Amino acid sequence: MIRVSNVVKYHGANRVLDGISLEFRKGEVAALIGPSGGGKSTLLRCINGLESFQQGQVSIDDRLQLVGGITPSRETLLRLRRTVGMVFQQFNLFPHMTAAENVMSGLVYALGRSRTEAEAVAVRLLERVGLGDKTGAKPAQLSGGQQQRVAIARALAVNPAAILFDEPTSALDPRMAGEVMRVINDLADDPQFQAAMVIVSHDLAAVRRVADTVHVLEKGRVTYSGPAAEAFAPGGPAAALE
Amino acid sequence: MTVKRYWLFALAAAWSWSGPAALAQEKKPPLRWGTDPTGGAPYVYKEGDKFVGFEVELAEYLAEQLGRTSQMVRGDWDKLPELLGKPAYEDGIDIVLNGYELREDLEKSYPSTVPYYVYKLGLVVHKDSVGRISGWSDLRREREEGGTRRKISVGVLGGSVAHEYLKGKEFGNALDLRINPDVATVIGLVEQKRLDATVQDLPACLYYVRHGKDLVLADEPRNPGFYVILTRKGDEELRARLNAAIKRGIRDGTLKRIYEKYGLWNADQERLLYWTEQPWPPPFTGNEEGEEAETGPGTHLGTLVGELVRAAGVTIFLSVASFPLAMLIGLVVALGRVYSPGWLRIPLGLYVEFLRGTPLLLQLYFVFYLLPQLHPVLTFSPLVAGILGLAINYSAYEAENYRAGLLAIPKGQMEAALALGMKPLTALQVVIVPQAVRIVIPPVTNDFIALFKDTSVCSVILITELTRKYNELYNFNRDYVIELAFVTAGLYLVMSYPLALLAGYLERRLGTHATGGQR
Repeated sequence: MIRVSNVVKYHGANRVLDGISLEFRKGEVAALIGPSGGGKSTLLRCINGLESFQQGQVSIDDRLQLVGGITPSRETLLRLRRTVGMVFQQFNLFPHMTAAENVMSGLVYALGRSRTEAEAVAVRLLERVGLGDKTGAKPAQLSGGQQQRVAIARALAVNPAAILFDEPTSALDPRMAGEVMRVINDLADDPQFQAAMVIVSHDLAAVRRVADTVHVLEKGRVTYSGPAAEAFAPGGPAAALE
Repeated sequence: MTVKRYWLFALAAAWSWSGPAALAQEKKPPLRWGTDPTGGAPYVYKEGDKFVGFEVELAEYLAEQLGRTSQMVRGDWDKLPELLGKPAYEDGIDIVLNGYELREDLEKSYPSTVPYYVYKLGLVVHKDSVGRISGWSDLRREREEGGTRRKISVGVLGGSVAHEYLKGKEFGNALDLRINPDVATVIGLVEQKRLDATVQDLPACLYYVRHGKDLVLADEPRNPGFYVILTRKGDEELRARLNAAIKRGIRDGTLKRIYEKYGLWNADQERLLYWTEQPWPPPFTGNEEGEEAETGPGTHLGTLVGELVRAAGVTIFLSVASFPLAMLIGLVVALGRVYSPGWLRIPLGLYVEFLRGTPLLLQLYFVFYLLPQLHPVLTFSPLVAGILGLAINYSAYEAENYRAGLLAIPKGQMEAALALGMKPLTALQVVIVPQAVRIVIPPVTNDFIALFKDTSVCSVILITELTRKYNELYNFNRDYVIELAFVTAGLYLVMSYPLALLAGYLERRLGTHATGGQR
């Protein structure tokens, strides 16, 4: 479980996260929605330790903690990042590696697994995201949607307790965005898959199909937290954003 | 007569008396004599802001005898004869007066005057070495050092008579011959005991033995020859007037007075007048002619090309040894400048700016000549100093190449690697640097090719690489100047073109997918 408690973050004098408190449970698909500049992506980056924050606390399964204003130890950061995977808006695949090598990279270079073991995992995961025939392709040879699916497989490879999706479809056209959301849907529907998924997105239609809970962030504050069905009901906060 | 008319009359009178004479004086152009002041004392050197030396005074005397003023024109020593063919506005000269010896090959194109000095070759050693090197024959003996035997190291000016003499049959390969274009530098290295000996023309030997701290002449000077003035072909009148002036100067003691002032008068000069009265030039019976007659010009050119190819080997060795080191240092510096904390970036930035902002030549000087004076441990052989100097200099350029490459990698790449749980160093190693290296292949290859050519600067620290060898051979083989130039240029091309091909291949092989789909 990811617990975010009263997190405050400044960018200069700007208070971009203004006392955020949220919880994401195992197996849950949570959507962070709201207007641009509300602090959604920043919150994800704080959870993953890519950005620091000044106050509050982030804890993962009550084992790993990031405390506002205190620089985490290198060991804490490494363990946290190996527990919480991340998928980026711009995919950020490693262009000099093949699709399979990208998926293997976390296992080999972060967890120290053998290449043989990592390769087997990579092939399985690429098949799962529908790219079993693209293991040897370089990112430049893949479409945007395919690249993002490789990125999801890469995040899954280290078997994380949670995956953070930072606007995974906003750089894609609707058809490709659909491909990516189908993969996320499949994961959400898979009873074996127990990782929490937190999705930041402006694609409310897609979010509606996949999310269990919805949190609305506006000006660095959570203005709504509740079940997706309620949020998207007529007159609900999500419906107001559509 | 009004005052005004009186002045006009006075002016006209003055014109009629001095005008034509003054004009005639102005019409005589100065005697432009070519010299290379880097050759130094006692020939031409600076005292305060004025050039002095026995050749400066000789030129002034000759100009005066010709009713002209003396005008010194500076040039590279071995290219001075070529300046004879140029007009004055292109730094052309009337005569070459700078320790040029009488030589058959030069005589054909640049007829000489009668000799103005009889020189010999002197052997100069450090006074502590006299026990070991007390004569010419000792140069052939190897010396014991740290349990190993090594050849005696002798510094000479590249392309000089001393150089040719030591390359000859008597010494052949028995010596460790170190070539440098500057007498003072070679002398300095003997003083520091970094060279065992040097062979120079006697005037230079006498000057430095007198002025140096610990230098001595080890044996009787040998291999006499004549210093002559070179003139333009067809300029018989000037040559005749110079010959007359030289003879007059010998007879009336002017030359003796000049030479004595610089401590150069000796028994050999007593016979100078005799030589000036012989038919000039005397018949040549030199070795070179004989050797060429035996072997033929083709074989001789073949030998020269062989020497150039061997020197190209030195160029390749210097480049191949120094560039990987430059790349490694450059990469570390670039990583430091992009990823290290702020306090470390400042000295690394200064490192780059200092090395880019100062000439490679000075840096090589510093590594080879000055570091040993800071501490004896920092004494490097010429080859090691050359590799270090080139590597350090080029590391600054490579650091900037890599920095550009690193900055071109999107920030998201590092974030993605860190988000996977990689350590920052691992992320750099497997994600960032491989991509940066692909991006910088073209500029890095460019620098490698540039370094190939920059190895020529290493000649200042006694390394004979391709350009140095060409310059050496040029002086004594002026009949083959064009051929040697083509072969030298061809060798550079043969060395650098495969690199360009390799770079193209690497770009095609690695570069295509470096950034695809990421921006």
